[in-house]
Amino acid sequence: MMLTMLLLLLVNLCVVPLLLVGVIRKVKARMQTRIGAPVLQPFYDVAKLLRKGETISETASWVFVQAPRINLAVALLVAVLVPWYGLTLPPGWAAASNLLLILYLLALGKFVSLLAAMDTGSAFGGLGASREATISLLVEPAVVMGLGALAVATRSLNLSEVFTQPIHPLVALLVGVALVITALAELSRMPVDDPTTHLELTMVHEAMILENSGRNLALVEYAVALRSCILLGLAAQALLHAWPALHAFPPPAQYGIGLAALGVTGIAVAVAEGVLVKLKWRRVPHFLAIAIVMSVMAALLAVAQR
Amino acid sequence: MSLPDLSGGYAPLWCGAALFAWGLVAILGCCARRAVSFLHPLLTGLGSLVLLYLALTGGTASFALPLPFFLGDAGLAFTIDPLSRWFLGIIGLIGCALAGFTPGYLAHLRTRLSLGFVWAALCVLLISMSGVVLAGNAISFLVCWELMALSSFVLVAADHEQQAIRKAALIYLGATRVGTAFLMGGFLVMHSLTGSWTFADWHVSGAVALLPAVLIFIGLATKAGCWPFHLWLPIAHPAAPAPVSAVMSGVMLKTAIYAMVRLFVLGDHLTHPALGPFILILGAISALWGVLFALLQHDLKRLLAYHSVENIGIILMGIGVALVARQYHLALLAQVGLAAALFHTLNHAVFKSLLFFGTGAIDAQTHQRDVEHLGGLIHRMPWTAAAFITGSAAICALPPFNGFASEWLLYSGFFGLATTGATVGLRLGALLLMGWLALVGALALACFVKAIGVVFLGLPRSKAAESAREAGRGMVAAQVLLAVLCAAFGIAVPALLRPLSAITAPLNAGAALAPVWTLPIPLLAALLVALVGGASLLMHTLATRQPTRRYITWECGFGTLGPRTQYSATSFAQPISRLFGSLYRYAVAIRVHGTRRRHFPDAIDAGATHEPYLETRVYRPLLRNLQRVAGMLLMRLQAGSIHQYLFYIALVLLLLLWVGCR
Repeated sequence: MMLTMLLLLLVNLCVVPLLLVGVIRKVKARMQTRIGAPVLQPFYDVAKLLRKGETISETASWVFVQAPRINLAVALLVAVLVPWYGLTLPPGWAAASNLLLILYLLALGKFVSLLAAMDTGSAFGGLGASREATISLLVEPAVVMGLGALAVATRSLNLSEVFTQPIHPLVALLVGVALVITALAELSRMPVDDPTTHLELTMVHEAMILENSGRNLALVEYAVALRSCILLGLAAQALLHAWPALHAFPPPAQYGIGLAALGVTGIAVAVAEGVLVKLKWRRVPHFLAIAIVMSVMAALLAVAQR
Repeated sequence: MSLPDLSGGYAPLWCGAALFAWGLVAILGCCARRAVSFLHPLLTGLGSLVLLYLALTGGTASFALPLPFFLGDAGLAFTIDPLSRWFLGIIGLIGCALAGFTPGYLAHLRTRLSLGFVWAALCVLLISMSGVVLAGNAISFLVCWELMALSSFVLVAADHEQQAIRKAALIYLGATRVGTAFLMGGFLVMHSLTGSWTFADWHVSGAVALLPAVLIFIGLATKAGCWPFHLWLPIAHPAAPAPVSAVMSGVMLKTAIYAMVRLFVLGDHLTHPALGPFILILGAISALWGVLFALLQHDLKRLLAYHSVENIGIILMGIGVALVARQYHLALLAQVGLAAALFHTLNHAVFKSLLFFGTGAIDAQTHQRDVEHLGGLIHRMPWTAAAFITGSAAICALPPFNGFASEWLLYSGFFGLATTGATVGLRLGALLLMGWLALVGALALACFVKAIGVVFLGLPRSKAAESAREAGRGMVAAQVLLAVLCAAFGIAVPALLRPLSAITAPLNAGAALAPVWTLPIPLLAALLVALVGGASLLMHTLATRQPTRRYITWECGFGTLGPRTQYSATSFAQPISRLFGSLYRYAVAIRVHGTRRRHFPDAIDAGATHEPYLETRVYRPLLRNLQRVAGMLLMRLQAGSIHQYLFYIALVLLLLLWVGCR
């Protein structure tokens, strides 16, 4: 049992994140009637980047060198701690899945990435960092209140306990949608940011990592994939818990359902990317306000029906 | 923690005597010019160690000085208990760091300041702050409070040959006067209600408590820098020398927090049901207001001053949680809220002093505090940069540093209110405040990324920044000490919760706090370090095959990048400033020169403006009108004629005689 859990955890850390990115890209390509790169392309990319040499700006300091490592370490740690349907943490670890600990660990990763972006003295880095900081301050309250609403509904701040208890479907649904919206913003996806334009001026995340190359970039890409997996995973699980019959399944099936839910969320992101246009930068707060309002509504429901 | 008691049970008395001697030698020694450079740092260090010793071993005791030390209506009385020991510990800790940092810092001001004078005032400030937290009755408290206000005023005005600094010092003095006036009013009401000056005898609750509570709160909030009484902070801090800002922001503001905890939270001295929600709301506003205005500042010290407003807000939110929870008989939450407030008090003292030290080191090396003229200092001042980044991570509440631990406690206090609160409104409010705190945290993160990015990273923006050197050994050592403490206090939380349990136990029938803290931070920190180490190892192995190349930053093929092509602090803050633009009347003005050639102007300059309209729209008209009214009334009394003044003196003497004979 223990061994299976460990195996599944390894799959979660090593296979699922990059696979998710591959699936999103493939679906998006199909929506644009392209064949698209193979689903495993992100794995090939990371492997290729790891083998390549690295060019660092002369202006950069140790911050630029260490930041991707810290960011990756944080992402790996959070990916272990964050609850996953069908995977249970060892009993002593439940407290480590505290929702605020997880959010602030993710903030630590963001802090170092923002600093790394500012480190090279490139205007693109500063621009990306400034915009990323702006987005994150709109996202953070929505996420804390949304997950807080789930926590109040289940009376525990530990996410691993939150997702083992039945939640009122409406609360779960509202929080789930809010989390999908915030994940789109955090992960620099359409309609907040376009990961595929050719113009750095219009980007947020790509502008931040413009100076990263080679193995350094491999770490960044892997960390981003892990973050996608974490944030979309949280959203998927919140949505999954709007389905009351969920808790009757045996554990292996649970894992499969969790994976399927993540896949569906990923496909939804890809579809959204296919049909939506990128918002003007000044309209982004309006889009994220939807998430904040939904979180507040979820909070109201959660405290009212406690 | 058990240290040997060498004094046969009289440790507090001996320590008191030592403190007195410290003050005396410091004041007398300031005349001895040659001795100042080593005598005063040594004295400060030793005195701070005495404070730390007292904090660790002091126990609980109270004593009054014998008869000649009598202040009219009550004696000089002092009480030491777990709460005052917690604050003594903070003073001692920062005092130690100060003893290391200050000599190096003051060296670059040697020609402008009278060093002996600054040192003496600094020592008096440290001693009077200890007096404030030890005072057993209102009169002793006020004496120490005034000594503290005056010595800090002297320190703010240290560089008084510059007019801006004189003005800042006078504004600070005015703010402390107003604060003390309110505080005295509150104490007088309390005396008339209870007939005693001793804090332990004060037990007032119900409707009569409202007036003294409000008066005392305003008096203390003015000192603490709580919104809307914070206006002196961003003016006084940039004017004072960096170590003084550090001790004022890190420690002196906290004496007001001490008094609030002492009078409002512990011991049922002064209770009113409106007090909790009131403090909670003011704290929430302070937190957001402080960080929002910090984001726009270009003067590093003013930026940090606004962050003090933010952190005081967070501390007040903790106190508010404690009061509200106590009102609804949620004993555990009251304890958690108070513990969060006190823990954050310690943490803020550590990381804010660290950040002010960093600013001071930069100021001493480059004579520049405007962030738009700095840059690239991480290559020239590596230790200062590393310490500043650590302090920033701590103030942004990032794990595993200390800020996270106390903010987590506050979050769990809110969460407790959100789950167990009696009414829907209370529960919803607590949950919304969690989101509010998250917003404040994200803004703080943006603000410190801006500060670090513009000051330490990138290319230097001025000659001064280009030719900077690392600060002296003492300055670096003090910063490293505080940076290590930031990490240590974040990891060794249970050890700090023990004294906090002793302080907060009365709120929760003597229960300990340890079960509240469930996070395995040491384990996670070790894992994090191991993972980063693993990643570094991998990178180094790969680097042996494909070496790393150093090259210029990509410039789109337009020629070399310079300092001016970098992102500036103004541009970094611009998107956020525009989001909250209506709050601070943010405007970007772009001027085009040489418009004759419409598409090829000679020059374009852009600048952002904002208006701190609490100051410009509320305080300025208020003060102006006050001055006008006072002018009309007092112009006749204060005519400047010596005869008239002699007449007043005679009148007062006669009045006193009449009162005395009656």
